[in-house]
Amino acid sequence: MSTDGQAGVVAVDLAIPVKADLVVLARLTAATVAARAGFGVEDIEDLRLAVEELCLSLVRTDDDGRLNFAFEYVPDAITVKCCFEPQPGWDGAASGVVDDLSLRILDALVDEHGREQRDGKLCAWLRKRRAPSTV
Amino acid sequence: MDQTFHITEDTSRPVPVVSASGEIDVATAPPLRDRLQALTASGRSTVVVDLLGVTFLDSTALGVLVGALKRCRESGGDLSLVITEPRILKVFEITGLTDVFPIHATVDEAVGSAE
Repeated sequence: MSTDGQAGVVAVDLAIPVKADLVVLARLTAATVAARAGFGVEDIEDLRLAVEELCLSLVRTDDDGRLNFAFEYVPDAITVKCCFEPQPGWDGAASGVVDDLSLRILDALVDEHGREQRDGKLCAWLRKRRAPSTV
Repeated sequence: MDQTFHITEDTSRPVPVVSASGEIDVATAPPLRDRLQALTASGRSTVVVDLLGVTFLDSTALGVLVGALKRCRESGGDLSLVITEPRILKVFEITGLTDVFPIHATVDEAVGSAE
C-alpha cells in the first residue's frame, strides 16, 4: 500500500494468476481498502461483489495470464482498475463478453464502470463513492 | 459466519432439498451445478435450494441456479429457493430474478409449496 504523488490518494496494487480460487484475493483486498477508506458494511459488501463481477467481465477461468488490479481511494471514493495480461505465447484472448447478469450487478452496485483497451490489454474499471453518513 | 463452501442434500423429504452454505463464487459454483444436474438427471424435476447459510453469491452462482431452474421446468417441475439474508436477496432483486424464482423464507414452506 502506498500514498502516491497525488495528495490524499492511497493506492494498492495486486496481481494474481487467472484462477477461480484466487479471485477471492481481489474481494478481500477490495474489502480491506474500503474499510480503511471508511466505507460502511453495506458499501463494503457491494464493492466485494462488484470487484468479483469486474473479474468475471474480463476473463474466463481457463484464460491463461494474470489479472493486475489497482485499488485507489481518496476520502470519498474508491476506484478499482483491472487489466488482463495474457501469458506470453498464449494464443487465446480474454473473453471480452460481459454476461448480462454481471452487467446488471455492476450497474446497481457502483456509481460508474467501464471497459477499455490499454496498451493492447483489455481492462475494466469501476468507481464507488462512499454513501453519505446518516448519523 | 463460516465462509467455507459446503453442500448437503436431503432426499428424505417429498422434494429433495439441496442446502448450500458459505460463499458461492466462480470457484465453488461448479460443485453446486454438478449436484443439481445429478438430481435432474435422476428424474427429480422439482428441487428446493436452501441458501440460508450462504454469505456471498455472484453471477456465476446465479447462472447455475437459472440453468437448474430451466432444466427443472423443462421436465415439468420447478426449483424453489430459500433465502432470508437481505444481502443475498439483494443480488436476486437487482438482477430481476425475484420475479423468476419462487422464493421462500423457510425450507418447510418451500417444500410444502413445491409438493
